[in-house]
Amino acid sequence: METILNVDKISKSFGRIKAVNQLSFEVMKGQVFGILGPNGSGKTTTLSMLLDLIPPDNGQFSWFQQLPSKESRKRIGSVIESPNFFPYLDAVTNLKIVADIKDKPYDDIDEVLQLAGLYERRFSKFKTFSFGMRQRLAVASALLGKPEVLILDEPTNGLDPQGIAQIREIIALVASRGTTILLASHLLDEVQKICSYVVVLRKGIMLFSGNVKEVLAVSDSVELSASDMPGLTAAIREFPGFISFNEAEGLIQVHFSMTVNTSEINAFLYQKGILLSHLAEKKRSLEQHFLELLQDTP
Amino acid sequence: MIKLLKIEFKKIRTYKVFWILAGLYFVFLAAGILLAEFMINHTVNNINQRMPIPFPHVAIYYFPDVWQNVAFFASIRYVLIFPAIIMIILITNEFTYKTIRQNVINGMSKTEFLVSKLMIILLTALIITVILTAGAFFIGLSHSGFNEVDFFTKGIPFMTGFFLSLLCYMIYAFFCGFILRNTGMAIAIFTLYSLIIEPVIYFFFRAPFMFKNTIYTYLPVNSVIRLTEYPAIPMLKKMMGLNLQDHVSFIACLIPLAYASVMTAIVFWVMKRKDL
Ligand SMILES: Nc1ncnc2c1ncn2[C@@H]1O[C@H](COP(=O)(O)OP(=O)(O)O)[C@@H](O)[C@H]1O
Ligand SMILES: [Mg+2]
Repeated sequence: METILNVDKISKSFGRIKAVNQLSFEVMKGQVFGILGPNGSGKTTTLSMLLDLIPPDNGQFSWFQQLPSKESRKRIGSVIESPNFFPYLDAVTNLKIVADIKDKPYDDIDEVLQLAGLYERRFSKFKTFSFGMRQRLAVASALLGKPEVLILDEPTNGLDPQGIAQIREIIALVASRGTTILLASHLLDEVQKICSYVVVLRKGIMLFSGNVKEVLAVSDSVELSASDMPGLTAAIREFPGFISFNEAEGLIQVHFSMTVNTSEINAFLYQKGILLSHLAEKKRSLEQHFLELLQDTP
Repeated sequence: MIKLLKIEFKKIRTYKVFWILAGLYFVFLAAGILLAEFMINHTVNNINQRMPIPFPHVAIYYFPDVWQNVAFFASIRYVLIFPAIIMIILITNEFTYKTIRQNVINGMSKTEFLVSKLMIILLTALIITVILTAGAFFIGLSHSGFNEVDFFTKGIPFMTGFFLSLLCYMIYAFFCGFILRNTGMAIAIFTLYSLIIEPVIYFFFRAPFMFKNTIYTYLPVNSVIRLTEYPAIPMLKKMMGLNLQDHVSFIACLIPLAYASVMTAIVFWVMKRKDL
């Protein structure tokens, strides 16, 4: 499969805040790729670096297997944070400016306006648009000139249920045409519905990445207890798929990024010289799982 | 290049604020130039009431003096500030509406963005200069006809000087808007500096006529306005026995050009490094 985007250990700090820390991932052609993380986890900063708005402190990335340039950006349609248009220009003029920059003809302006449900309002000034209309115009402008990649940063943020449905419908349509999509969101549910691949961020650090079904699947967590608790907490970190643990009254609850076999855990710990006094599997809901993933535990 | 200009035109074409300010500018410009003679003579008449030998009527619109006079009255602070404010608005709008971000996201390079704004400044300076030249020409024609062979060539240095004044002053404004990013603040600071701070500095550093070069000579806005420093009024020259300006000094042009070049370089430098 063809690599569309390769991100190699990019980092960016704002003063003492490490907004993005050694982030690496790869997006393949045709994937609907999600960046999932709570507010402030570095999603927008990451996308801003990928679009040359913010120079990374370290690391590099390539688009279409080439060094990033304005030419690569012309092949990408993006909505980052808010819709950015001239309020005193009408929708068509705003879109013409976008088409000019991208070296694309005006041919599909009408089409994207129709897709966004704004065709009737095409000669209205941008400042007269409602919040939902603005967001849809932003998506429409990102779709101008049939981009190979669509980047959306929280595209449904602040929209009412109807607005959310409209945006998701457009995304689904675009995805069905084979366009590669990179979507940042803090909504687990959104990423789950739309994306096939995901990286999960917390405080700029990638927790894990992979297929949405595997990563966000209900995996088991396991309760463990041993007389040597410090030894146990040290040893369990080395178990493949370990994510985090919570401590609770004499036992720890351990989360794994994949389904684990309890007897394997037992054997593993035994080898490390830890004798378990308690071992139990716990089932959790998806939401609970996500929240635990993002908790502040080490 | 053409493409960048096309984009800039789309941004301006239906922007009311731009056209209103441009209209106001031309009204002030025309009024300043056309009322100048009347105002001067009004003052002269007032003085004459207390003089035994009255000063003759002052005429400033005949060739070739009309060139210098038009250039002088077109470069007074209160008129020159209009196009500067327009440029501040055009650049700070891009930050206010985050369209500079979107332009870059969509595939404009940061350099292209700056070049397109500088081209608009250059083009605006050219257009205004051409209009002013045509205006001066018709004023001269209607007042004196072609009274000299070189009536036109004498205008070239003054019109070029005016062009440089305008160009550099708009670049200062662009610089101010780019660095401050906020429309209100940029206009306030730029206006305050141009109309109040420099004249106050002048008040403290003004020099006798003989030693004309003081700190004030080298201040950015003054160096712009000084290119055409005095109107051409032959009577004034004779009366005061002064060796007043009758050409635009090449050295004087270098001062605002140097400021404008440094500011442009800083803008490019900042654009490359700062987050958008
Ligand atoms: N321009 C900036 N200056 C200072 N801190 C910033 C800036 N942009 C983002 N940050 C900080 O970087 C972190 C990541 O922010 P952001 O990328 O916007 O997160 P997200 O998009 O995931 O909500 C946050 O802690 C945020 O406060
Ligand atoms: Mg964000």
